[in-house]
Amino acid sequence: MYARKDRKDDDDSAQGGNKWSGERSSVLQEARVFNKSPLDPKKCSQVLTKLLYLLNQGEKLSAAEATDTFFAMTRLFQSSDVMLRRLVYLGIKELASTANDVIIVTSSLTKDMTGKEQLYRAPAIRALCKIADAGTLQAVERYMKQAIVDKNGSVASGALVSCLHLLNQGCADIVRRWPNEVQEALNSDDAMVQYHALGLLYQIRMNDKLAVSKLISKYTKYNVKSPYALCLLIKLTCKMIEDEGYGTDCPMFNFVESCLRHKNEMVVYEAAHCIVNMKSTGPSEAGRAVAVLQLFLSSPKAMLRFAAVRTLNRVACNHPKIVMSCNIDLEQLISGTNRSIATLAITTLLKTASNESSVERLMKQIESFMTEISDEFKVVVVESIQSLCEKFPNKQGTMMGFLAKMLREDGGFEYKKAIVDTIIDIIHSNEDKMEIGLGHLCEFIEDCEHTSLAVKILSLLATKGPKTKNPSKYVRFIYNRLILENAQVRAASVSALAQIGSECPNLTNNVIVLLERSLMDEDDEVRDRAAYYLKILQKGNTDLFTQLTLSIHGLESALCEYLKSDMSVPFDASQITYEPPVKQAKPAAPLAVPEKKISPGKNVYQEEVLEVPEFAQLGNVFRTMPPIELTEPETEYVVKVVKHIFGEHVVLQFNCTNTVNDQLLENVSVEPVAMNGGWKAVHTIPIKKLGYQETASCFVCFQQPDLLDGAYNSGFTNTLKFTVKDCDPTTGEPDDNDGYPDEYVLEVFEVSLSDFIQKVANVDFVNSWEELGPENELEDTFVLSAYSSLQQAIEKIQDFLGMHACERSDQVPEGKQTHVLILAGTFVNGGRILVRARLAHDPTMTQGVTMNMTVRSNDESLPELILTSLA
Amino acid sequence: MGLLDRLVVFLKIKKRQASVLVVGLDNSGKSTILNHFKPDEQKSIEIVPTIGFSVETFKIKNLNLTAFDMSGQGRYRNLWEHYYQDAQGIIFVIDSTDALRMVVVKDELELLLQHKDIKNRSVPILFFANKMDLRDALSSVKVSHALGLDSLCTKSWHICSSNAVTGEGVREGLEWLSEQIQLNLSNN
Repeated sequence: MYARKDRKDDDDSAQGGNKWSGERSSVLQEARVFNKSPLDPKKCSQVLTKLLYLLNQGEKLSAAEATDTFFAMTRLFQSSDVMLRRLVYLGIKELASTANDVIIVTSSLTKDMTGKEQLYRAPAIRALCKIADAGTLQAVERYMKQAIVDKNGSVASGALVSCLHLLNQGCADIVRRWPNEVQEALNSDDAMVQYHALGLLYQIRMNDKLAVSKLISKYTKYNVKSPYALCLLIKLTCKMIEDEGYGTDCPMFNFVESCLRHKNEMVVYEAAHCIVNMKSTGPSEAGRAVAVLQLFLSSPKAMLRFAAVRTLNRVACNHPKIVMSCNIDLEQLISGTNRSIATLAITTLLKTASNESSVERLMKQIESFMTEISDEFKVVVVESIQSLCEKFPNKQGTMMGFLAKMLREDGGFEYKKAIVDTIIDIIHSNEDKMEIGLGHLCEFIEDCEHTSLAVKILSLLATKGPKTKNPSKYVRFIYNRLILENAQVRAASVSALAQIGSECPNLTNNVIVLLERSLMDEDDEVRDRAAYYLKILQKGNTDLFTQLTLSIHGLESALCEYLKSDMSVPFDASQITYEPPVKQAKPAAPLAVPEKKISPGKNVYQEEVLEVPEFAQLGNVFRTMPPIELTEPETEYVVKVVKHIFGEHVVLQFNCTNTVNDQLLENVSVEPVAMNGGWKAVHTIPIKKLGYQETASCFVCFQQPDLLDGAYNSGFTNTLKFTVKDCDPTTGEPDDNDGYPDEYVLEVFEVSLSDFIQKVANVDFVNSWEELGPENELEDTFVLSAYSSLQQAIEKIQDFLGMHACERSDQVPEGKQTHVLILAGTFVNGGRILVRARLAHDPTMTQGVTMNMTVRSNDESLPELILTSLA
Repeated sequence: MGLLDRLVVFLKIKKRQASVLVVGLDNSGKSTILNHFKPDEQKSIEIVPTIGFSVETFKIKNLNLTAFDMSGQGRYRNLWEHYYQDAQGIIFVIDSTDALRMVVVKDELELLLQHKDIKNRSVPILFFANKMDLRDALSSVKVSHALGLDSLCTKSWHICSSNAVTGEGVREGLEWLSEQIQLNLSNN
């Protein structure tokens, strides 16, 4: 009965709500009614509802206001009106974080949570955990323990969820003292209680791997009844399998698989979802999970259809072959009335589409209901188009037209951004489509409300425009922006104009005229830019458009120094430390075929190494590997190594962390010793000082051995060397003795061939293969005895060579005994490498996989290098 | 108040309503005293220190009293003042065996009397010199001397010695308080 009333109340507040918005002071005034005696419960409920509404609308109260209201609200405890009391609990929870002295209601809440009125108990516990700190929690510990094992499901659930919150509020130690109660709650008959108890038990033991694995193995055997708990258990099990790298034959995985046959749909879905998302899942396991999802696709429940198609959509990239089996069901969903499901279905089909004709048909279908779906799903569509463009370069024209149409329609920022990014992607990868793409983008910025997109497009026009046949066309578009847009866009337009002006000599004079008009602009930045570029263009000097090659910090400090001096001599910029422009960190060598390098992106480590002045002359970073741990994570000194490959050098960056609180380390360095004699260290930069909990990097630079000689493969044994000074753990001040040198042996890591090869994606493999021709071609046949399946062999080869598998050739259809793997990559010296490997595997034979590999390159020594390294 | 309401009150058909504040140092017996007025099935056997406050309602002589049982621990005493404003009566409980902290009691009492929400209103104050059964308990006269109650002439006050455990003297004190509050209510 109360629950129903509750809902009614909520409805009232939702409908009548808008009239109170912005009336926080009047509501606070009205809150005085709480102080009236005798109380009017009805009036108080109304005011409290308004107050809750305001708080939920994001209205912020000051600490004083909140405290006043809070204390007024505490008086409502004298009323025995059930509705009002429950509203008070909500009020306490809302104000707990802003008001002072909220501790005042502890006793009242304790009374309610142990009282007879069942409706009070669970909300009182939930409110209590919001206001409790470690001190008060100890006082009510007894009651909490009782509540956890209470017969009433809502009370037990409330207590368990409160414990979860308390774990994160700094009361973890106290909650950890109650595992027996939580275990008991796990045996409860109530589905929710079981779920919450399992969740809490996991949270308590989360940091102890052994305990978690015990927990999982215990409850996977024990028959957990609650479907919610079972879902959680499946998630935890899968996480465990992933973390520990168990295969698909372990008992844990068998448990997840057995859940596919559970009678509850939720559990079945969760199991299927987890299986297809696991990395270790092979095609056969995924096939079984997808079969279950396929059944869901034809379910009468929209929710199940949606869940299934969403999961299939995600895994379509990893297991296209398997998802393809659902194509018939997916096709049926497209015509359904539920647009969200239809969108996901169609994008899934696009991802698995194997030929171009089906793509075109699907695109037409999407078009028909594009206007009916929400932005969120439109973004999904755009993303799938982007991946299609990569897959079918020939279809880029169609896609471009489609995107342009979408660009013209209404949509939010995220949606437009996705479209613009996709178009830019196409422009970068396909020279032929550049002009059309630029045209669409120009049209878009004519009426674009998103400043950041406009700026992005303008800068693209500036770089790409001069390369087109008719750059003057873009000058007109850009100049229009200069007249019509806000200051940010105008500033970007000025820069873009100037860049086009400098790169196209025949347009320079026109641009100068246009820029002169901006000299009168009302915005400082626009004026400054216009004046600056005008000067440069008039001088005919275009050097300044190239990247600034100074370190910004260096320039700043040098200028500060200069200002302090008497400024009698002109400022000399040549003395500032040189730094290679970070933006050009990708290999600059332009390649004839449009190619997209898959680099891990400019990551933090790469920026760190480029900031070191000693390495500035090494040139650009070819590749930066993800960090490798050289120690266990909980040792005294934690060291990770990051390999940076330069043109002729290899820089090893050691990130060291000191976790000993009474030691100060000085002069920290790592001495890597190469097992292969070809490696010579040329430069070492130690860390001067490393305090407790600090992380810093020391570097060792190696001259690359003659790579083509086969000396690239080398293990490194490492020793961490440092001087220890004991220090006061609280202040970190070292004692005044000199300290003593110490050493710490680290684990071994390897530099291998794959480090020197960059993945290249989006290659038209067949054309490139023909283009390179057979001049530098080598061929060899190997027997890979260690592998028992084609997929396994392919993964290893890819891993070993560090090259990109083109045209999804890394996916082997199940049951096939032969396969052709094609790989593309760039060597550190700029040489292109293409590999075609024919693999054959006979399941009846035990001797493994036979491979015939052909390597072509534009560098004569590379094929040999690749083949010898494999041997 | 409408004419009908007056009549109802006059005839004592409907009971009047008032709230009182129960204060005093920690371990003086506030919650134990209030425990006496609870119905039998709700009585707590074990009284634990109150954190913050708790609300009890009971009736004395046709007056429905809502008692705010405040926590007496040092860190919560500054929170009493939040409830002064609407208190129509104050019960001040003193541990009469604790001669050492009598000065603290006096300080707290003075603070209370000086507070703006109490100073200018006529609020009856009932003092309980609690724990009278113990051997070294001070008599109510001695307690009132120690607190300087003789010089308190702005408020109507009453002191009685009590034994919260057995309930001796408690009801008598509350009856005085309820009379005073009724008097105040009909004057207004």
